[in-house]
Amino acid sequence: MEVKREKAGIILAGLVIGVIAAVLVVLGNPLNMGFCIACFLRDTAGALGLHSAANVQYIRPEIIGLVLGSFVLANVRKEFGSKGGSAPVTRFVLGFFVMIGCLMFLGCPFRMILRLAGGDLNAVFGLVGFVCGILIGVFFLTRGYSLGRTYRLPALEGNVLPIVQVVLLVLLLAAPAFIHFTEAGGGPGAQHAAVAVSLIAGLVVGALAQRTRLCMVGGIRDVVLFREWKLLAGFVAILASALVCNLILTGATPSVYFKLGLTGQAVAHTDGLWNALGMLLVGFGCVLLGGCPLRQLVLAGEGNTDSAITVIGLVAGAAFAHNFGLASSGEGPTANGKLAVLIGIAVVAVIACCNTFGKKRGESR
Amino acid sequence: MVCIATFYSHFGAMRFKKACDRRGAPARLMPVPRDLSSSCGTCVRYESDVPCPTERWPEELEQAVAVTEEGYRPLYRAARS
Repeated sequence: MEVKREKAGIILAGLVIGVIAAVLVVLGNPLNMGFCIACFLRDTAGALGLHSAANVQYIRPEIIGLVLGSFVLANVRKEFGSKGGSAPVTRFVLGFFVMIGCLMFLGCPFRMILRLAGGDLNAVFGLVGFVCGILIGVFFLTRGYSLGRTYRLPALEGNVLPIVQVVLLVLLLAAPAFIHFTEAGGGPGAQHAAVAVSLIAGLVVGALAQRTRLCMVGGIRDVVLFREWKLLAGFVAILASALVCNLILTGATPSVYFKLGLTGQAVAHTDGLWNALGMLLVGFGCVLLGGCPLRQLVLAGEGNTDSAITVIGLVAGAAFAHNFGLASSGEGPTANGKLAVLIGIAVVAVIACCNTFGKKRGESR
Repeated sequence: MVCIATFYSHFGAMRFKKACDRRGAPARLMPVPRDLSSSCGTCVRYESDVPCPTERWPEELEQAVAVTEEGYRPLYRAARS
């Protein structure tokens, strides 16, 4: 009975999140990008001057809201707790390469679902790669992979990332000269809903994701490990509600929010192989991290400093990707990006092997 | 009594389940219930007359609780967790 109630809650949350994502596009966000954790962290990195791609620079309030929404609800429910110490440097590296994979595909797992809901069939290749990556990660999980336990930490540690989000919000509102913003018409960075709308959307989704533990990676992992569809049902609900909203909006407004096909899709390229390999890297890395980028933000909001380090790794990966020409564009992946994805898969595989087969484990039988 | 044990790693849960199996304590792997924790790892649901069906609590164990009509009754919690 409890499980049924939990599943109903997750599906309901997914339906609400799908609607919010579709509405954010109507109100100004780029097409099929109501939410994208990778893109939004990349935009924020650009706004802070960590990369100089002028078309993707904006402090995204959705990210701020996601962390603070989780933070507030976790505190209200007395689930907030500063903890960490589980291989933070390894998690930074994994976060870094997960972002490289995301920017090869041009989206995180969340946006992959939203791209599917917008009719972008390139995301099917991404989904296939993503599932393959998760299966590889699960192989290591079932053979002993672990990054070690977490420990309780001083309260301030878990509060740092939420505090940083408040600082980012102040910088967004004050807009000092040293913060970079994409000029109007200058690219995806200039396409955004109003600050208050984006912030509220982030807060609501952050709280819902904290309450339901929504995680794309965890959803597929649980299906593989336990034949448990509960978590994945949330993302299916997001897909369904965003798809329905896109179809309704396309019919009811002059704009096109649903366009079925491979070509001419917004912020996407048509190279199926590299879409798949990029998301394979994301799926593999995220299983080793224990959650998708959305889940990392939510856990960071709950006081998990390992996830906060992962988020910093994601930001560093985004900055690197745009400073060194690794990120794809609508024209396709770059040679540098392809090399970086292959290196990323190799690095993640080495991390997986070292933390699976390379440890002496205490007997606890 | 029915108990649930949560772990720091999936493999820790797998090993505990196997240890339960060897000692004849019915056990199965499952996702951690939401009302027990906000984390989303793997737990072991087992039946045992004693809180710890193995020789000692494994070091990968985060917490163990007994499932009661009123909710969860703590049996064990790892230090500094």
